[in-house]
Amino acid sequence: MSTGWMSQTAQPRAPQPQAGEDARTRTMRPIVTGTSVLGIKFDGGVAIAADTLGSYGSLARFREISRMCKVGNQTVVGGGGDVADFHMIRDLLNTLEIENREYEDEHDIKPQAVHTYLTRVLYNRRSQMNPLWNTVLVAGMQDGEPYLGYTDKLGVAYQESTLACGYGAYIALGPLLREVADKGEPITKDAAVALLQKCLKVLWYRDARSLNRFEIATVTAEGVDISAPQSSESDWGIASMVRGYE
Amino acid sequence: MSSTDKTVLASAGFHGDVLTLVKRIGVRMQNYEYQHRKPMSTPACAQMLATMLYGKRFFPYYTYNILAGLDADGKGCVFSYDPVGSYEREHYRAAGTASALLQPFLDNQARALARIPDYIGRKNQQGVVFEPISKERAMTIIKDVFTSAAERDIYTGDAVDIRIVTKDGLEEHRFPLRCD
Amino acid sequence: MFMTRSEYDRGVNTFSPEGRIFQVEYANEAIKLGATAIGIQTNEGVIIAVEKRVTSPLMEPESVPKIFEIDAHLACAMSGLNADARTLIERARVEAQNYWFTYNEPMSVESVTQSVCNLAMQFGEGSDRESGSMSRPFGVALLFAGIDKEGSSIKPQLFHADPSGTFVSYLAKAIGSGSEGAQTALQDAYDKAMSLADAEKLALQTLKQVMEEQITAKNIEVATVKVNEETNMPQFKKYTHEEREEALTRNGVTTAQAATASE
Repeated sequence: MSTGWMSQTAQPRAPQPQAGEDARTRTMRPIVTGTSVLGIKFDGGVAIAADTLGSYGSLARFREISRMCKVGNQTVVGGGGDVADFHMIRDLLNTLEIENREYEDEHDIKPQAVHTYLTRVLYNRRSQMNPLWNTVLVAGMQDGEPYLGYTDKLGVAYQESTLACGYGAYIALGPLLREVADKGEPITKDAAVALLQKCLKVLWYRDARSLNRFEIATVTAEGVDISAPQSSESDWGIASMVRGYE
Repeated sequence: MSSTDKTVLASAGFHGDVLTLVKRIGVRMQNYEYQHRKPMSTPACAQMLATMLYGKRFFPYYTYNILAGLDADGKGCVFSYDPVGSYEREHYRAAGTASALLQPFLDNQARALARIPDYIGRKNQQGVVFEPISKERAMTIIKDVFTSAAERDIYTGDAVDIRIVTKDGLEEHRFPLRCD
Repeated sequence: MFMTRSEYDRGVNTFSPEGRIFQVEYANEAIKLGATAIGIQTNEGVIIAVEKRVTSPLMEPESVPKIFEIDAHLACAMSGLNADARTLIERARVEAQNYWFTYNEPMSVESVTQSVCNLAMQFGEGSDRESGSMSRPFGVALLFAGIDKEGSSIKPQLFHADPSGTFVSYLAKAIGSGSEGAQTALQDAYDKAMSLADAEKLALQTLKQVMEEQITAKNIEVATVKVNEETNMPQFKKYTHEEREEALTRNGVTTAQAATASE
């Protein structure tokens, strides 16, 4: 989480201290950012959700940016962090898919392959001291089973039945986890989507970098479905009763 | 933790480096088997890991490793490392966030190395009979040790994976710890 | 066909219509001009014995080594072009040490042989005159003799490597000018249960049989790889002049008198 923005005026790429002629600028902080991505496995598939806001510091700068992309017919990737860097990841994945399609065979890129590939890309970039400033969720169907993986700008990677990045990791992971881990049995697709919507609404109330407009992607044996951006209703009536922040 | 049927590696530290290191070791072990027509022995893997770690001496893998398996004589062996490849064959070792907590515990409890009393568990105690410990005793100690880690070390998680290498093969266990 | 057969014998990148690469076969011919080398494997260890052609009484035989230590557990005997052998021996030594550096155990005899053969077969690479590319195959055959240790058990090994980069494991093998006769002799006399002492006798007798010159302690080299009783580790040992004299006498290859007379 980059919190340094809170007190700053939006100021893209401050001059680097003592930049010599051979000095190179790298991503030292994200500029246009996306916040949380949430993911959950359900019975026969997996769903991920992300809002469509591209923040410029604390400014809600771009309100209709997609932070998801489809790779092949059984994988979807959602990313938080620097939106420009996510676009680069998206381009890499598109290239990957185009190269795969050139073979014109039945082979389809699987989510685990995408996840491992992204982990290597991100790890290599961090090892070059030039990270891609993102946290990424990879969701899909791997040989008939739901797959949900996480990777971030350091190249850390793992799989879980529920995942969240950004502010969602603090706020939403608890409810998501409880719904799956504590019940011990898979929930339905509708329940999963409803749960993600609920979590996004809580994030909209509590995460100042979030928006009540979002996309939800589901992957099942039938394929990938990324919803059109949708908005949720919210009720700020209770806000007048909150004291201490006037 | 990753393993073949003869060699197991436990790796703590930066998870991105752990993933990368474990993958590279896997590749090296597979290629070794193709080239030399035999599986890599645990001591050979131990030396290889040391050279791999030292190869990144000036941009180290941020990992703490313990490699274990059987040596050429079929005896159990444990190799412990620092992040840049300094390594040593030992009888027991704790590594990772709770290492400072657990190593003295092992010094006190593990009686592995019967014949070199100065070098083993039950250190600085009188009237101790030194004898090789059984597999069951080793399991008990490991569970106790991790129970202690879960109690006092905030980075220790909800369960511990245990792998046992014997001449008969590899055993895998998962021992749950306190889930708070 | 507008090409005559002989036009295929220049390049190393072209098969003849019969499926042969002549330069490799010519390299094999070069070896047949070389001094004879013999290797014999026993359960105790391996012995190698090599003829050394002393072309002048003013030549110092010690200056033309025919047997090389690759590692403590591994010896190599050569026949063919001496200079080519050095390049391959250098590779074997480097590979063996690199392996030890990385894995902290001795490299297996087969793996060393394989790594040398990988170099030997690079003669075809780089058809233009790039730097570092080879213009011809190595004109040398090698016998790798050594011991692999697996826990407490030992496995003596003998490998023959030729200019094509092919290597084959043998119980007993002869290379060089006298190889045909020597190989037949080895085939007749070899016994799987023979001791290293028996093998020494067989090697020296066979060498004597095929050598044009009278065999003496000066015109042969002998080495063994066997387990050192003290360290319990495989060890390469090259016979000294005195040990060669003793061995020749001990095995009745020369009489004590003849050995001295040749001095």
